[in-house]
Amino acid sequence: MRDLLVLFQKEWRENTRNYKILWIPLIFVFFGITEPVTNHYLPQILEAVGNIPEDAMFPFPEFTAAQILMSTMGQYQFIGMLVLVLGFMGTISRERKNGTGTLLYVRPISFFSYFLSKWKVVSIIAIGSVWLGLLTSWYYTELLFGNVPASDFFAFAGTYSVWILFVVTVVLAASAWLPTGGAAGVSLALVLVIQIIDSLLGTYWTISPWKISTYATQWLTGSPTMGDFWWSMAVTIIAIIALMIFGTWMSKRNASKTKV
Amino acid sequence: MEALQGISWGIIAPILVIQLILLIIALIDLSKINQTNGPKWLWAIIVILGSIWGPVLYFVIGRKQS
Repeated sequence: MRDLLVLFQKEWRENTRNYKILWIPLIFVFFGITEPVTNHYLPQILEAVGNIPEDAMFPFPEFTAAQILMSTMGQYQFIGMLVLVLGFMGTISRERKNGTGTLLYVRPISFFSYFLSKWKVVSIIAIGSVWLGLLTSWYYTELLFGNVPASDFFAFAGTYSVWILFVVTVVLAASAWLPTGGAAGVSLALVLVIQIIDSLLGTYWTISPWKISTYATQWLTGSPTMGDFWWSMAVTIIAIIALMIFGTWMSKRNASKTKV
Repeated sequence: MEALQGISWGIIAPILVIQLILLIIALIDLSKINQTNGPKWLWAIIVILGSIWGPVLYFVIGRKQS
């Protein structure tokens, strides 16, 4: 397991040097702040820029604190996922292309350690960013809208973290399998497109990884149906493990494609 | 702009600070890096004018991993 530690440090250093450790959390925090703030100041913003006639009455919807946290998550589900996929699509495939791979693969490393070291670093960055963002959003919601109980918030953020781990694993497995462009395409299809399909046709089934985010929001207003919730969690965790095995296998198989 | 006076600057400030940090990191990195995908001056303009998305685009597409 010593090689895991060394690879982990190498990966960590790389992500520090390309500033991913900085800009990805900042983006999530940014949306964690803007979502409550723009919703709170919407009347003023519209008044300042919207050219609404003097006597027009415009009934603004009254948001509850829980709805604001949900809409922050809605932002993460699109923009956040885009950032995660585009930010990490090259994690393994780029190493094959630019020659770093050659330096690594000639050494007697286990490919599982290789994949796991990347998975750990990317997961830490992704989960850290999402939690920082959600905590800021929670704080701003408290300031501007009202209270969301801590137990609800932690159940929500904890459930959502499992979905983030799933996304990270999809991106890394795709990156191990295909060149960078293909990896981006496959992971965007798996993360964004299937999510849309799931929300359109999803009434026919209740157990899937793409339902996790919906169940996460249900913690804010009550609690999800327990059976469906735990089965979805179990299916997602099994999918994560399967994708990790697939990713390890693919990085081993594609090791010969590295450019010298 | 009278309508905007009701907005408390203490609440808005962190948004501006984040944008500024991203802008500065991107510009520092741009000045240090050897090569970018596309001309450097163009990336400088995108980073400066692109508000929050300028630096992000630069980090995702502009940076050439050497």
